[in-house]
Amino acid sequence: MLPDHLLSWMIFFPLLGAGLILFVPKRYPTVMKGIALAATIPPLWWAANLYVQFDRWGTGFQYVEKVPWIRAFNIHYYLGIDGISVPMVLLTALLSFICIIASWNINEHVRGYFALFLLLDTSMKGVFCALDFFMFYVFWELMLLPMYFLIGIWGGPRKEYAAIKFFLFTLVGSVLMLVVMLVFYFGSVEPATGLHSFDLTILADQSVHQAFLRSHTIRWLCYLGLFIGFAIKIPLVPFHTWLPDAHVEAPTAISVILAGILLKMGTYGILRISYPLLPDMAREFALFAATLGLISIIYGALCAMAQTDLKKLIAYSSISHMGFVMLGMSVFSNTTAINGAVLQMFNHGTVTAMLFLLVGVIYDRAHIRDIDSFGGLAKTMPVYAGYTGLAFFAALGLPGLSSFISEALVLVGSFQQYKIITITATTGIILTAAYFLWTMQRVFLGPQNKKWADLPEISLREAFTLTPLALIVVLLGFYPMPVLDLIGATLKHTVAMVVG
Amino acid sequence: MNSLYTYLFLAALLFSLGIFGVFQRRSLIGMLIAIELMLNGASINFMAFNRFLAPDPIVGQIYTLFIMGIAAAEAAIALSIIVAVFRRLRSINIERAQELRG
Amino acid sequence: MIPENFIQSNLQGISFIGPELILTLAILLILLVGVLLPYWRHRILFTILAVAGLAGSVLPLWKLPQPAPDLTYLSNLFVWDWLTFLSKPFFAVVGVLTILLTQVTGEIDNSEYSECTILVLAVTMGMMLLVASTDLLMIYLAFETMGILSYLLVGIRARDERSGEAALKYVLYGAFTSGTMLFGFSLLFGLAGSTDLLAISQKVAFASQHPQDRLLLIVAILFFLAGLLFKTASFPFHFWCPDVYEGAPTPITAFLSVGPKAAGFVLFIRLFYPLFATGHDATIYEAVSGLDWPSILALVSAITMTLGNLAAIHQNNLKRLLAYSSIAHAGYLLMGIVSLSDLGLRSVVFYLVVYLFMNVGAFAVVAMVASAGGSEEIDSYRGLGARAPYVCVAMAIFLFSLIGLPPFAGFVGKVYLFAAVIYKKIYWLAVVAALNTVISLYYYLRIVKAMFLEKPTETIQIQVPLSSRVLLLALLVPTLGLGIYWQPLARVVSGMF
Repeated sequence: MLPDHLLSWMIFFPLLGAGLILFVPKRYPTVMKGIALAATIPPLWWAANLYVQFDRWGTGFQYVEKVPWIRAFNIHYYLGIDGISVPMVLLTALLSFICIIASWNINEHVRGYFALFLLLDTSMKGVFCALDFFMFYVFWELMLLPMYFLIGIWGGPRKEYAAIKFFLFTLVGSVLMLVVMLVFYFGSVEPATGLHSFDLTILADQSVHQAFLRSHTIRWLCYLGLFIGFAIKIPLVPFHTWLPDAHVEAPTAISVILAGILLKMGTYGILRISYPLLPDMAREFALFAATLGLISIIYGALCAMAQTDLKKLIAYSSISHMGFVMLGMSVFSNTTAINGAVLQMFNHGTVTAMLFLLVGVIYDRAHIRDIDSFGGLAKTMPVYAGYTGLAFFAALGLPGLSSFISEALVLVGSFQQYKIITITATTGIILTAAYFLWTMQRVFLGPQNKKWADLPEISLREAFTLTPLALIVVLLGFYPMPVLDLIGATLKHTVAMVVG
Repeated sequence: MNSLYTYLFLAALLFSLGIFGVFQRRSLIGMLIAIELMLNGASINFMAFNRFLAPDPIVGQIYTLFIMGIAAAEAAIALSIIVAVFRRLRSINIERAQELRG
Repeated sequence: MIPENFIQSNLQGISFIGPELILTLAILLILLVGVLLPYWRHRILFTILAVAGLAGSVLPLWKLPQPAPDLTYLSNLFVWDWLTFLSKPFFAVVGVLTILLTQVTGEIDNSEYSECTILVLAVTMGMMLLVASTDLLMIYLAFETMGILSYLLVGIRARDERSGEAALKYVLYGAFTSGTMLFGFSLLFGLAGSTDLLAISQKVAFASQHPQDRLLLIVAILFFLAGLLFKTASFPFHFWCPDVYEGAPTPITAFLSVGPKAAGFVLFIRLFYPLFATGHDATIYEAVSGLDWPSILALVSAITMTLGNLAAIHQNNLKRLLAYSSIAHAGYLLMGIVSLSDLGLRSVVFYLVVYLFMNVGAFAVVAMVASAGGSEEIDSYRGLGARAPYVCVAMAIFLFSLIGLPPFAGFVGKVYLFAAVIYKKIYWLAVVAALNTVISLYYYLRIVKAMFLEKPTETIQIQVPLSSRVLLLALLVPTLGLGIYWQPLARVVSGMF
């Protein structure tokens, strides 16, 4: 049975859990963890239902909820999902559930951790469901608070630095977005009511834009503002420096959320806001964005190659993989690339989540992540090696695993529009394969390091967090249609809108 | 001699002297006197404008009376604070008051 | 011979200053009690009397007629518009919060407590009068009532060296700037031959056409600005602010940072809009031709916020840090003034209301921590989150609200101010303010970081009494509530202009 206002329930159910946790006495940490877990299960169930029931052929928004929120500013509580949101919502619900299990070994300040985590969960789902610019912004910013504390309190040795860096970088992007948001608000008039509007569906209608919002300079600056805001989140290369720090210092589950979901918000925001609101600028910026994507692919891969810290390696690989998404999203001559890009968003979410979980497993045991200090781990931990192998192969784009399809779609699609960029990007794949295989060899193969000879094998709880992701990776590798089905119609619409 | 501009000039002179005094004096009492000069400059302005430009309602004169009252109150309170500070510092030099900085 | 109806109308007018009269009665009563019961100087008695007086002062508002922009009383000294009407409860709340904060923290000795409550009430009365005044004479009198008594409030801990020094600096700066402002008043009086703002505004519109009169106007505006920028702690008259805020007792600092500051901004609206702007009926105003004060103020705004934020980064004393932050906030608030629109005025009022709760909240936490055995230095906040979680979470919320992050009220206030300047297409100022928000994040987060991210250096248990917790809760509710649903307040401020 699904409740009415499904999206609201899905967004705010974790928040209820967070509220409940605050009242649990301090001596029952397990109860708090239990509540946190219980608060993520219904949203996952609802998200799964959403996935099944979602009308694949509709281009409009579904499960829409719209009530006036602040009349003085014509702000609405406006939720709805389309083909781009559904996979993201599903991914969020799934990873939140998995991350709660992965956080079971958190033992200090349990109450704070799980309450903040659930708050984070709420804000992430809110971002993916909001259709009112103002609401989108509120959720977008709301995410920063729990994230700051989750990195800053439960993180690694340089957690304070990483947390503030993350916060500062993202806030720069956010405040620019705020300014652009208000420019759009005053630059548009809702035809029906004569009021200004934050409604993204209305703002997407170019005819509501007032004269000054039609000026090229304003539009160009607005697009730039939004683009910087989102590029910081993705992160594209000149704006990426917060990411390795944040990833390395964050606790495992938070790295998973960061890489699995937060990075996607950048690309999601571009699809949801930049493209519909400023399609002409989207075309104008396409080559620039594709170039930044390419730079991210190559630069990320090269940096990853130079890392000795396993977590940092994965962090840089994320930059590289998100570069593919940006590249695919900048292609408007066909829908193949953009489909590949959104599929890559989903696939990267699952694969990188696996990778971070796996690093967490080894870090919990050995308390180091230095690639060179391991060796021959495959003998000690064969199951672990198996999972890691699968994740590494998926990440490097081995045919038969999910990332291969999305990256191939991106490259095939973008080749039509940007020949040189695409060819150069292909070297990124080779680099990726190189560093993952090399890492694999250094960690798992070769002579066994006696120091780590008695590391215990992966536990049942850890296996439980990894298995669903592994299944998805394999399944989507053979048959990507479950996701492509979902996003196809919406993306076709998006591309048509941008092309004009 | 008996024109508006004479008085305005006098007022401006007093006011400027007051400002100069506030910036130049290091003694608290001196600064207080300088501030009183500024107020007197304004008072003369009010009186002069009242006399030459808008004689009918005697608002300007009333204003001056109030300024005198306020100035007295201000001086009383400033002096009491200065005395309190003097008890601590044993000095009325403003430069000695530098506990708070940064 | 005084006409009959003159007396009649003035007698009627007295009912409009009911709030001020009730406050005066309360002041007299406290004075009397303080004299009659010299050996029974219990704080709680004075607190109850003062709070009752402040609460009673807003009661007459229900009896009075509907405010209207042209409803003046007491020989046109005051105007009874929505700004007047709503500022009375606003200042009453400021006063109540200050009194309660003084009550729950021990910073002010019992021996000075009754004087302190009297002064708070009197300054509150001055502020109430100030925002209602439409006459240069009344404005000056109310301005000085507010000013002179607040010098005393700052120096109320006479035996404390820092308090005395703060009062000294405050009184010197204050007297200097108010003298400058007064000179500006005198020039304006000379131009118009009247002290009534309405009469002056007609002359100003006329005079700005003539070059030599325009010069006089510009000088007058500059002199005005001295007084107003001083009270609002804006560049270039902000130097007193850190010293005074640090030296004054913390509850008084909280009071100064919201009370006189708010009064200063309301005075901006009272003086600048009728005098130097035209277009009262429209939603957009225009500066009187030839006097481009909005551009000057826009520059002042940008400099003020940048300066305040940059200086705050290096502060280790929390009161000093919050003082610089309050300078920065004055810069933000000026954005609403320069936007010359109804939206801008609304944004100023909205922000002042929001600022009241979050800023008093932040100072309240500082006062509580200091009186519970900590200090005002950031070092004593290390690891405080584990020792006093409730207070620290409250502090974090106030600070996040001051930064302007959703879902806290400060965010909405900032959206209002940003909206005001973007509405008028002053994009550069919006971008400057946006970047300032990022700078401010850094130093506010230093406190949050110390509280939650760092390990404690000492293990003294911080005990915060229940009364303090309740007071914090009373400040938290609006800080959070107005961030999530601010339609009621939005409606109120929309009705004002």
